[in-house]
Amino acid sequence: MIAGSMTWAIPGGREPERSTGPEPESTSYDMVCLLNIGDEDANVSMWAYYEHREPVGPYLLTVGARRVRHVRINDLIDPEAVPLETEYGLVIRSDVPVVVQFWRQDTERGKAVATAAAIPLD
Amino acid sequence: MITDRQRSLHPNDAEISNWSGSISFRPSYVEAPRSEEAMCAIVRQAARRGLKVRPMGRRHSSSLIIATDDVAVSMENMCGLINHDTEERWALVGAGTDLDDMGRALNEVGLAVHNLGDINVQTAVGAISTCTHGSGRRLTNLATMLIGGRMVTADGEVQEIGRDILHAARGSMGTLGLFTALKLRLLPRYRLRRREWCTTMDECFGQVEELSRGSRNLDMYWYPRSDRAKLRMLDPPGEGPERIRGAKLVMAREGWSNEVLSRKRTLRFDEMEYAMPIEAGPECFLEVRKRVMEHHRRTVGWRVLYRYVASDDAYLSTAHGRDTVTISLHQNNTLPYDAYFNDMEEIFLRYGGRPHWGKKHSLSAEELEPLYPKWAEFRRIRRKLDPEGVFLTDYMSRLLEGR
Repeated sequence: MIAGSMTWAIPGGREPERSTGPEPESTSYDMVCLLNIGDEDANVSMWAYYEHREPVGPYLLTVGARRVRHVRINDLIDPEAVPLETEYGLVIRSDVPVVVQFWRQDTERGKAVATAAAIPLD
Repeated sequence: MITDRQRSLHPNDAEISNWSGSISFRPSYVEAPRSEEAMCAIVRQAARRGLKVRPMGRRHSSSLIIATDDVAVSMENMCGLINHDTEERWALVGAGTDLDDMGRALNEVGLAVHNLGDINVQTAVGAISTCTHGSGRRLTNLATMLIGGRMVTADGEVQEIGRDILHAARGSMGTLGLFTALKLRLLPRYRLRRREWCTTMDECFGQVEELSRGSRNLDMYWYPRSDRAKLRMLDPPGEGPERIRGAKLVMAREGWSNEVLSRKRTLRFDEMEYAMPIEAGPECFLEVRKRVMEHHRRTVGWRVLYRYVASDDAYLSTAHGRDTVTISLHQNNTLPYDAYFNDMEEIFLRYGGRPHWGKKHSLSAEELEPLYPKWAEFRRIRRKLDPEGVFLTDYMSRLLEGR
């Protein structure tokens, strides 16, 4: 069974700078969740788009066959750390179909979690 | 046919950058001599014309020690294992040999260096000239390996690196002469097991001191955007702790020391590192962590590295006379680093920190002299060997002479 798409977009990124409570459990963060139900590893590249500068990327990662991978945007440094408190969007391309979901934990004023399906582009 | 001795300096109009790209300079001449004779000729010609000469390794330094407007001398053609004695545990290597190649060549003859840093792309002479180090409470920096060799002095002559100048030569940043061959004190080759453990600061920091006493090489990465940490340990197979409270083993690998001490790094970064007395390390680190979390997380995603270096007696060693903890800040080379590094430097200096010679810092001779008990002795030797300042660029002069 083939499930998912090979290109996804997440327009609404913005990682909160402040956190409340003990870390790392209470760190504010954005996260991308990738699901690969196929029988081949997914080679994924992500590009970060910004309001006032050219896109940065690729952020490269692999999601194993029949595996899920959660990637915190705060942790990305290669090729460049994504700035906090800054609007960004992601375009995610994979060489096999995957399913992508976006997740945010914001603890600046108490703990709030929001999730949204990413938008398939193909 | 024009011999090395006859040729003139080679004009250059290309810009040269350091590894991270944060420093660019355009030397009037770039040389890559293949012999000591050629190197002598370069120095003589430069001295005659009143030009400054700077040695150039793999350009991994991110301080201005590598920059010159005059003559840059690459060591790339002065490399390889020249001689060795496995039983007596020494080797003579070309100064431009990179640490990775040197590790392989030494391994083949049954020898190894006592430690390496996180990366091994630097030249041997670059590492020794800047007191580059790895981590380990009982392990000194790489400059302490130097026990002799040869150099081209400011008058264009070849001289042995004798015992009388050894303490000055280690960590001398190319200011005593151009080192051509390095005699190194080594160990019989040895195997290590590398293990990496993921944990959090709350779980690990209280254990780090104790763990560092029970492991050959221990360092800690702290990740500022999650407050997580990674502990890296290298020990002889079968030694070192099997478990760490609150930590998860994520990597284990065994190999010869030259295969597992360093890792390949392709992502480029700028770096500031200060060396503090070991007793001050934990408190200084906690202040660094607090400051980063309160003021710099917006732009800083890179880890902070905490390492140990044993005391030595090289005059300009950052671990001179004291067991040391080093704290390194990293920033992507595509992002601004000034505000971050400048702000943190104030903390390091309050704890008696000495800056790594090859990384970003703002100090000059006036601030450095009180940090180094043998500063005047180093200066005396340097002035004697290079009275006209052939090896002193403007930056090196500000750094070492204050003018």
